[in-house]
Amino acid sequence: MTRPISLLRYFLLIFFIVSASTYVVVAQRDTITNYYETEQIKLPKGLRAETGGLDFMPDGRLVACFHLGEVMTYNPKTKVWKKFAEGLHDPLGVVAVSNSEILVMQRPELTRIKDTNGDGIADVYETVTDDFGMSGNYHEFAFGPLKDRDGNYFIALNVASNGAGIRPEIRGTYDSLSREGRMYSCVPYRGWVMKYNVKTQKLEPYASGFRSPNGLGFDAKGRLYVSDNQGDWRGTSPLYHVEKGKFYGHVASLIWEKDFPRIKPLSLPVEKLDSMRTREAIAFPHTEIAHSVTQPLLDNTGGKFGPFTGQMFIGEMDYPRLVRLLFEEINGQMQGACVAFGDGTGLLKGNNRLVFDKNGDLWVGHNDHGWVGDEGLSRIHWKGKVPLDIMAMNLSSDGFDLTFSLPVDAAVASNPSLYKFQRYYYKYHRPYGSPKTDIADVAVKEVKVSPDGKKVSIKLAELKAGYVYDLKMGELKTPNGQLLMNRAIYYTLNQLRK
Amino acid sequence: MRSVLIFLMFCIATCTFAQSDTTITLQAITGLQYDLARFAVKPSQKVTIVFKNVDDMAHNLVFTQPGKRLSVVETVIKMGDKAQATNYVPASTEVLAASKILIPNTTETFSFVAPSQEGVYPYVCTYPGHGYVMYGAMYVTTKALPPLSKDSNIPPTRQIDTPVEIVSPHPFPLEYPLIYRTFMPDCGPAAIAVAINPNHSYCFDAGKCYLRYAWTGGFVDNTAHWKGNGNALAAVKGIIYFKDKVTYPLRIGKADKLPEVHFKGYSLQKRLPVFSYTLDGIAVKETLKSLIDDSGLSRTFSFGKPTQQTLYFVTQTDDGIVYKSSTGKWTNGVLTIPKGTTQLTLTMKRQAAAHSVHHH
Repeated sequence: MTRPISLLRYFLLIFFIVSASTYVVVAQRDTITNYYETEQIKLPKGLRAETGGLDFMPDGRLVACFHLGEVMTYNPKTKVWKKFAEGLHDPLGVVAVSNSEILVMQRPELTRIKDTNGDGIADVYETVTDDFGMSGNYHEFAFGPLKDRDGNYFIALNVASNGAGIRPEIRGTYDSLSREGRMYSCVPYRGWVMKYNVKTQKLEPYASGFRSPNGLGFDAKGRLYVSDNQGDWRGTSPLYHVEKGKFYGHVASLIWEKDFPRIKPLSLPVEKLDSMRTREAIAFPHTEIAHSVTQPLLDNTGGKFGPFTGQMFIGEMDYPRLVRLLFEEINGQMQGACVAFGDGTGLLKGNNRLVFDKNGDLWVGHNDHGWVGDEGLSRIHWKGKVPLDIMAMNLSSDGFDLTFSLPVDAAVASNPSLYKFQRYYYKYHRPYGSPKTDIADVAVKEVKVSPDGKKVSIKLAELKAGYVYDLKMGELKTPNGQLLMNRAIYYTLNQLRK
Repeated sequence: MRSVLIFLMFCIATCTFAQSDTTITLQAITGLQYDLARFAVKPSQKVTIVFKNVDDMAHNLVFTQPGKRLSVVETVIKMGDKAQATNYVPASTEVLAASKILIPNTTETFSFVAPSQEGVYPYVCTYPGHGYVMYGAMYVTTKALPPLSKDSNIPPTRQIDTPVEIVSPHPFPLEYPLIYRTFMPDCGPAAIAVAINPNHSYCFDAGKCYLRYAWTGGFVDNTAHWKGNGNALAAVKGIIYFKDKVTYPLRIGKADKLPEVHFKGYSLQKRLPVFSYTLDGIAVKETLKSLIDDSGLSRTFSFGKPTQQTLYFVTQTDDGIVYKSSTGKWTNGVLTIPKGTTQLTLTMKRQAAAHSVHHH
């Protein structure tokens, strides 16, 4: 309990020093509402808006699917909601193919849904693939689809929860090797990311080791990212850069690996499992920034949503915020930092699904099903002014370089006491979640501000791989008094620069 | 050879009285009721009752003279402890026919000749305490029955023509036919519940590609499944009248070989689903419609091209259904569908709603 209090004192102290030394009087505090605004979209009467999927049709209509099986369209111009399809089983993702055709991931299958007679209501529900197992356990959610450049679709399959059993009748081959443990995989390919190959029309196993992968997205270079949730084998919520054939840590799904020996994955030593897994590109420190991250989405608006084009956002369930992702490639591996986005814009909780419209507004579908959250649909609009925010956090040989969206006041930014670093890690183990482990403060040795005022280079006393570097900053600002919108950032340091 | 002979003898034996007899399957179900609140037979017709107790309590089934239901029930109460020895059936001219007391999950088949006098003959469970609510009406008549809602011979809870209008849980009104993909009892996890109309529904297994069961009296209640973690199953609202207990009904080439099935989805024709699936690579489309008065189902199977092998449709002869087919031959409940078939319509009529079992 001592840490937040001392931190507050520290911030107050900095504030007074800064105010006194520069004689700046801020008439009205610079807040995020100067840059972004959030609007709640009016919902049709009778809709339980537990949003499972969002996309835009080519004609500009939003298409959204909801927990009770409805697929609705919304015309932003006329503000009219219409039914497109109904009766689906817990649909958790939608992709618009045309103005009359969509793909929906529902519990039992990936379905192509079409309106073939032009009356605006779907009349064809084609099974694209149902080539995966279902034990009937409630936790076996199915996520996706995400369309790649070649037209293939990625989907992700949850494992089952030992909070419930399986049904007398199942789909797929039963295997009991992974029935132990908090989460289990007893039919193929629970706990996997799968790729539906459009050429062969086959669903191919792609990568294993997932628990509750409620979010798939590509970055600007087409790299696949999949999120997961804190739990067993998940010390805190992670985001993985997913590549074919790799294992991402949750052990239950290992039994469906080709040539995996007939042994219980839980019987393997943690050190062995740790050596087999690929670490998350970004760990989201629990309660610091997120509790349950959702869908990652690339800002491909070309600047219509502000200065973050080319970066990715990810939704968050428990806090009224999104999280912005700052990746970099180190020794051929993706790792990076996360920073809050949208705090104070009036965004709700339960930020489950994200999509940009043609105008560059970000639409957020909310969900509170069986979890903390909210219901509804929001639209975040950039008002046109650039806020002071962190654009990049890059690992250097002896610390980090921070790049800002605007030049910072060098007199303020060059003060080493403005930057407070901690490092810790989350255990990779069978129990649910992990405390911050091996917490230590990291001393700031030197701070340099670039001549253009946009880059601050920080030299640290020590850099250690396998840790999250947690940076909390004092009140940085621009020479004209614009304030730094987000002062906490978390860098997942898997690898040091070689 | 021997089994063929036995079968032929059986056929000869049954065919002699097949024109005039009827078989009624009647179940004691949960909630102190029979699945059928009433049925009709013709005067002097031989009636065979297949009485199944699928409840978790003991029940019997006693047919009485017109208007004598309460009199019989009260006579049994007066008999006290002695009644148990006679299965709670008094030696009385008021009793027309009766089963024994059936413990749960047992069946008794018994026959009697329907009275020559037209009239409403009650049936009732005389197990102490049950007789005031657990009853129904056997109509001995050749005429049409009154509407359910105006029939004072059946329990008040059953005097409904259509279920109560359900408030739509969606941002649009409910329209029928209505489909929910949901978790259904007694089905694989990929299930489709279909209400053909507000009263008549069925469960199609989208994993195993066949009709699992059908019921009347309502559709499904998803409330429990839709809230919380989703572990709860949808609840069937109404009374199941048919359950397919054959592992898979359609067979290709050999009657005893199960085909490999793949579900391909469905299209909607005026909201009614037409299911697509493959059986050993053969493309099949199946449409299920309700027979008049919801007395059963008509199932139309269309094949992508004329069948190149003999197909079989396997039924269980005691499933309470009278099957008829637009093509093929029935043998012991197995329909042989000749090569070259492109379409087949199968009607499945509830026996209780039929006046004759004769179809073989």
